[in-house]
Amino acid sequence: MGTDYADPRKTFGAAVYKAACTNRDIVALSVDSGGSSGLGDFKREFPQRYYELGIMEQGAVGIASGLATTGKIPVLCAIAPFVTARPYEMFRNDLGYMGQNVKIVGRNSGISYSDLGSTHHSLEDFAIIRMIPGVTVLAPQDPGEIGGAVRAMLEHQGPVYMRIGNEPIPCLFEEQPFQIGKGRVARKGKDVTVIMTGSLAGNVMEAADLLAQRGIEAEILAMPTVYPLDKDLILSSAAVTERIVTVEEHYVIGGLGTMVQELCCEQLPLPVKKLGVPHLYATSGSYRELLAHYGLDAAGIAAGVEAFVQ
Amino acid sequence: MRTDRIDLLARQAARCRRNVVRMVRASGAGHLGGAMSCLDIMTVLYFQTMRHDPKNPLMSDRDRFVLSAGHKCMALYSVLAETGYFDKSVLDTYGSLNTKIPGHPDMHKLPGVEANTGALGHGLSIATGMALGLRADETGARVFTLLGDGELPEGSNWEAAAAAAHYHLDNLVAVADCNGLQISGRTAEIMNMEPLSDRFASFGWAVLEIDGNDLRQIVQALDNLPLESGKPTMIVARTIKGKGLSFAEGNAAYHYWKPSAEEQAQAEAELDEAIARLEGRGKCHGN
Repeated sequence: MGTDYADPRKTFGAAVYKAACTNRDIVALSVDSGGSSGLGDFKREFPQRYYELGIMEQGAVGIASGLATTGKIPVLCAIAPFVTARPYEMFRNDLGYMGQNVKIVGRNSGISYSDLGSTHHSLEDFAIIRMIPGVTVLAPQDPGEIGGAVRAMLEHQGPVYMRIGNEPIPCLFEEQPFQIGKGRVARKGKDVTVIMTGSLAGNVMEAADLLAQRGIEAEILAMPTVYPLDKDLILSSAAVTERIVTVEEHYVIGGLGTMVQELCCEQLPLPVKKLGVPHLYATSGSYRELLAHYGLDAAGIAAGVEAFVQ
Repeated sequence: MRTDRIDLLARQAARCRRNVVRMVRASGAGHLGGAMSCLDIMTVLYFQTMRHDPKNPLMSDRDRFVLSAGHKCMALYSVLAETGYFDKSVLDTYGSLNTKIPGHPDMHKLPGVEANTGALGHGLSIATGMALGLRADETGARVFTLLGDGELPEGSNWEAAAAAAHYHLDNLVAVADCNGLQISGRTAEIMNMEPLSDRFASFGWAVLEIDGNDLRQIVQALDNLPLESGKPTMIVARTIKGKGLSFAEGNAAYHYWKPSAEEQAQAEAELDEAIARLEGRGKCHGN
């Protein structure tokens, strides 16, 4: 596991800024959220392409759609529930149904705004956004992948939802070109396939070390594209291990785990264990405490996988 | 203002109203009341005010039109057909499988449609974004949007109203089709949004109130845009729901119309007569 850490929001903002230096169609929208989204450099260097809208997420998504019809590539980043659940119908109709080239980024996703409580948690965003036809859903897992995902989403023609966390995340992978719809094998193994996405990747990689010490060789699949799912990668790994565990900072229903179950019910079938947050209003506390509480720290993930394997 | 110009618009509006009834015959039902109330405004927009080319619907510097009240789509289809975006035979597919003219407009199916509306309270935000983008590109293009008065309680309208004024979008023109009726009854009783003009003015819009079924007043308003430099324009158009059909005018029951054979025939006869009368007047003026 890498030892360097980076702030996901700053990493995201820097990647958008870099792309905007060469692509003048990229515009940023803020709902009183740009500074906290790492878009300070963008605002300073490209004030004419930076639209502050105040706290109006429904209006902002519609405005982003209108901007996109004129050839702009709007990027709107704010706290995850406020750009997904709050303006859901605008996301569905103005971006999805209209097929507009808008990039919505939910930051502080999952339970990373831990102590602020359930209003600020986003545990259903994969579920609700993947229901909108034509929308790509990304959850990059380490700083390099965030940079690659930003480049890929800006080059992709069509609406994209990307979620990032809040806490610094470790550098885990060798950098490689980001391909939407493609995952990768982050660790080879034969006993169980563990599929991870987003901000929990560091904990999963740590859990794999703990499992190895207990004699369980987990194959870890890194899945930075949640939708469309990399079905081939999952099926080829499952053909060897014959059992799957999914790990996500999301409700255990509706998200990555459910998508993997849908795939496996159709194609195999084989048992799938889903690790995530139970379907309830999550409690509050420090982020570290909450992850441990829901069994999503390295020890909890290792225990969950071990119990399933045995 | 030349009388023959108004007479010509009156004939075009009458033909567009006839198109609406033709679509209803095809499908057996449709959102009649609002389509008829806004058709004089739509006629002036498409036959006179807007820069657009039916043979080149994606012309980059075209003026845009967003029908926020998407259920009034029969009015939009009428003017698009009448100005030559598509063959009028398509009107006879209203309500049929895979039609290009569904019950709410779909930009992917029909050239000339700029946004997929139908869920209320979306159009003003989309139009605001269009106006921002077009201004940045210095194309000179303007954005027109038509809202129904029944959709004005949607909060998203007021988010967009604030943003359009904040960004001084004087290339944005909204028309509120205030026919005063919605499906359950009188708009003022269901959720009063008056004084509407004062409300928009207080948000920073330049506002003009007109009779939205008076072609002279509509032309006068749309010939003088923007109303005020540096401000978005709101035209509060007082209209009559079901305008043009004697039995439907001012009657909320005709918001959505599923006619009997007799009513369908009466509607067609009334509008055919109106067209004949207006064409006769046109001949007197030498047209």
